[in-house]
Amino acid sequence: MISRAPLAWSAAGLLAAIALPWCALQEGLDSGAWLGGLWSSEDYASGLGQIVEHGKWWLAPTLLALAACLAAALLPATRQRRGTLLLIASTAGLLLFVAQALGIGLRGWTAAWLTTLFGELDGRQVGLGAGGAVVLVALLSLLSIGLALRGGFGGDAFVAGAVTTVASSIVLFTAWPILRILVQAFQDGDGLLAPALLVERLATEKIWSLRCLSGGGRCGVAWNTLFLALGCGAGTTALGLAFALIVTRTSFGFKKTLRVLTVLPIVTPPFVIGLALILVFGRSGLVNQFLEWSMGIQPTRWIYGFQGVFLAQLFAFTPVAFLVLIGVVEGVSPTLEEASQTLRADRWATFTTVSLPLMRPGLANAFLVGFIESIADFGNPIVLGGDYGVLSTEIYFAVVGAQLDYGRAASLALLLLVFALGAFFLQRRVVGTGSYATISGKGDSGLPTPLPDRARRAAACVALPWAAFTLMLYGFAFVGGLVKVWGRDYTPTLDHYAKAFAVEHTADGLIWTGAAWNSFWTTLKLAAIAAPLTAALGLIAAWLLVRQRFAGRATLEFATMLSFAVPGTVIGVAYVFAFNVPPIEITGTAMIIVLCFIFRNMPVGVRAGMAAMSQIDRSLDEASLTLRGRAPQTLFYVVLPLLRPAIVGALVYGFVRAVTTVSAVVFLVTAEYELATTYIILRVINGDYGLAIAYSCALIVLMLAVILLIQFAVGDRRLGRRAVALKGGRA
Amino acid sequence: MSVQFEGVVKRYGEATAVAGISFTVEAGTLVTLLGPSGCGKTTTLRMIAGLELPSEGRVVIAGRDVTTLGATQRDVSMVFQSYALFPHMNVLENVCYGLRRSGQSREDAARHAREGLLQVGLESYEERQPSELSGGQQQRVAVARALVLKPSVLLFDEPLSNLDARLRRQMREEIRELQQRLGLTVVYVTHDQQEAMAVSDRIIVMNAGRIEQQGSPRDLYERPATPFLARFMGESNPARGVLSRLDPATVRVRLGTCEIDVANATAADGNATVAIRPEAIAVERPADAAANSLAGTIAKASYLGTHMEYSIDTAAGVLFATCPHVDRPLAAGDPVALQLAPRGVIVVEG
Repeated sequence: MISRAPLAWSAAGLLAAIALPWCALQEGLDSGAWLGGLWSSEDYASGLGQIVEHGKWWLAPTLLALAACLAAALLPATRQRRGTLLLIASTAGLLLFVAQALGIGLRGWTAAWLTTLFGELDGRQVGLGAGGAVVLVALLSLLSIGLALRGGFGGDAFVAGAVTTVASSIVLFTAWPILRILVQAFQDGDGLLAPALLVERLATEKIWSLRCLSGGGRCGVAWNTLFLALGCGAGTTALGLAFALIVTRTSFGFKKTLRVLTVLPIVTPPFVIGLALILVFGRSGLVNQFLEWSMGIQPTRWIYGFQGVFLAQLFAFTPVAFLVLIGVVEGVSPTLEEASQTLRADRWATFTTVSLPLMRPGLANAFLVGFIESIADFGNPIVLGGDYGVLSTEIYFAVVGAQLDYGRAASLALLLLVFALGAFFLQRRVVGTGSYATISGKGDSGLPTPLPDRARRAAACVALPWAAFTLMLYGFAFVGGLVKVWGRDYTPTLDHYAKAFAVEHTADGLIWTGAAWNSFWTTLKLAAIAAPLTAALGLIAAWLLVRQRFAGRATLEFATMLSFAVPGTVIGVAYVFAFNVPPIEITGTAMIIVLCFIFRNMPVGVRAGMAAMSQIDRSLDEASLTLRGRAPQTLFYVVLPLLRPAIVGALVYGFVRAVTTVSAVVFLVTAEYELATTYIILRVINGDYGLAIAYSCALIVLMLAVILLIQFAVGDRRLGRRAVALKGGRA
Repeated sequence: MSVQFEGVVKRYGEATAVAGISFTVEAGTLVTLLGPSGCGKTTTLRMIAGLELPSEGRVVIAGRDVTTLGATQRDVSMVFQSYALFPHMNVLENVCYGLRRSGQSREDAARHAREGLLQVGLESYEERQPSELSGGQQQRVAVARALVLKPSVLLFDEPLSNLDARLRRQMREEIRELQQRLGLTVVYVTHDQQEAMAVSDRIIVMNAGRIEQQGSPRDLYERPATPFLARFMGESNPARGVLSRLDPATVRVRLGTCEIDVANATAADGNATVAIRPEAIAVERPADAAANSLAGTIAKASYLGTHMEYSIDTAAGVLFATCPHVDRPLAAGDPVALQLAPRGVIVVEG
């Protein structure tokens, strides 16, 4: 296999350089119009055509390197030597490729120093197309084959290829866009570097003012964001812990209901809670109406501002903290608590001196998640923020609003990124990498200690009313879509649903006349494309990180963790900056949205995959390898069948998150590719709550149906200490 | 010769797991890598398997240089400590796995797999799931799964460590019997020196990433080259003695009040470390003692059914001895006279 692979890849690359258009086409590949112009038309020409006919000499070195790879594949040589030759040729090809792609853009040289160095260039090039992409992939594959032939990656070309794929795609679609933000933040309107400008943009009153503390006026958006995030982190952690303790350590009867509460926010677009809060506390909400009716108090806009956003985020993200903490609480070994009790500690002392300290890393983790969710949240602040601006909404207005100030957007995004990464690193410093509440492979037969009475009462007092209130909010959100005009006319109606999802039956067949159908189908289609890709990339990355040892493994793991901490708003802005100019010009296409979905959601797939995979004994993989199963066969026949729950999880998550996400894609949608969430947000901003709520409910029902369907198809996952029986193991 | 290591080094970052070893495993023999945990024996085995690639040196299997080849490309197979039976496949599917991956048709693979199961006496267990089998049966499935590929080398990584003591003896006899019947080349890793002595043609003892000594079980037990080996291969008491050469083949060892003539051709005169095997110490009451004995007092005594174990304070240090006379036990505090058999007194050089 290995002797044929380099031949196949270099041939494929060269073929693409001859027979596929090098540059991106306005109308897409499927029109077929390019077939006639592969040589003569500058727009359609293949790589070779561009060099010979259109004077793009800078493509020649890359193609020569590819030809050198072909020669290396054909010439008789030892494994080692062939590997070295391939490595040299493909590395040279890649460097040349990247250099020309970055160096030459729409208007010739992309930087002044290149012009001074090489003189004016009359050529120009647009974004990469199919030909260029295949050549790039071929060069990357040849690089990995070269490494494998030289004994890298355990001599396995598949592993080498997978590492190269994952690493280069993370570099291309996460690192590069974020790097672009940095560059953009330092640039003035004409694209010239001006470091002073960043200081000027960031050092304004509007961002850093602290006047709200002294009583006069408003605080800057940076402080607003921080206050909100700290409050949200602390609040969700406390509530989540209360829920987790009740579910795992008491005989509370409605545990199933509490579990449902954890599913709801996953399938809910993040601003639905904000909408429900408006229905209850808004100017024409229930509370205000009741106060006016009973006591004649004027309705206020009390809910808009810090308190509203804070409440909404608490409701929206507490379940996430609960999900994090329930694993932590379950992970505290009962044996340790039993040991404590045999050492004369009563239940309360055991709880405070053994259980809680063991949960500390988990608590820090939950806090971090709440913090990052809060600063990344866009839906709730825009719906409920009112005058209380936060970074994510400021960025949005800088890009979309009348200001259209990319430099300012980039600077704010940079600030947001610094906050997120700051929290991330702080958490790692505080907790360290070690967590002591892990499930070990040793039999652990103890019973979890029931919660001491004091703690049980406290948890119940906090958690149960909160749970009831959350359910009530969801209830109102549901009812809100079924009345004419909330606050004025409570006549039951299906008008909102009809307006969104009307279907007319005519002579020509069904016509989807509802206002929501366009965005609905686009969302479904793009999410359905993105979900399997997200799951595949995430699980492959997890497999590499857990199972393979290679140089740069720690860096790769760190990179995937890091992209988890990057707020969606930042990713969205970064994609706009990075991909609206050559070499990758995909702004306004469906592809950029799918890519955004994939790289936004992949880190979660990676974490889930890693967790699942580390429960499967590594010797199973090794057994397969020594039984003549190559790496891809091992992955396919041994690892994946054992990973079914993780695969389902990654698929569901990839799909659901793609449907419900707002913050990142709000920058990427166009009239042609409008998504459900962005459509709803626009309706909310225009005050059209009925339609927005009806549409949100339809989405929630759809998501629940998808989850139930998949759950039903795969069956329940058997959790519990016995599930660890898979783990045997070499010392 | 079937497996050859030439100056093989394995490093993990700063740490060196295997620090330059060379050895040869002849075809048709069973060679054991023996050593305490962390000595590099499992890493060495995994380098034969191709699950780890060496940082330096050369690995040759069946005449082919496989240094940079991965596990899949080598003609070896391995029985894992945890057996590593695929939990989502039944017994037959497990045994078929390697055959199918080598490109055999479903029918051929099943036929060969059945033959393999017959070899290990599990022909009626085809449809069982691994979780429905006892430890010993799982072990046999793992052996059959590796065996059916007819590898040039079969590797065992501590195959008996998850079994109870009685089954362990039975399984090791089965493995040895199978190896001799089929003429297999086997490399076997264990930390249990008794197990190693029972199954091996040759033993390679490793310590701290290096080969300490290699040879037949008898060589290693009777002529350990280093103090480590004397301690590790069976029990032994370290003691300081004084040597004086009697003739080219014999040296006289003086230990406290007694003198023993030991077969040794190389040791120099003067102070030396000697190792005394516990079974070579005859423990007797002072009245019964012959001349040339070492006086001592019993410090601890334990009854173990087949024999007695004593710790004895002597002029040469505390000695540990085993004594077959269970019907005449001694108690702590009793004075004794020790007779040392020359065969169990080893002069340790180096």
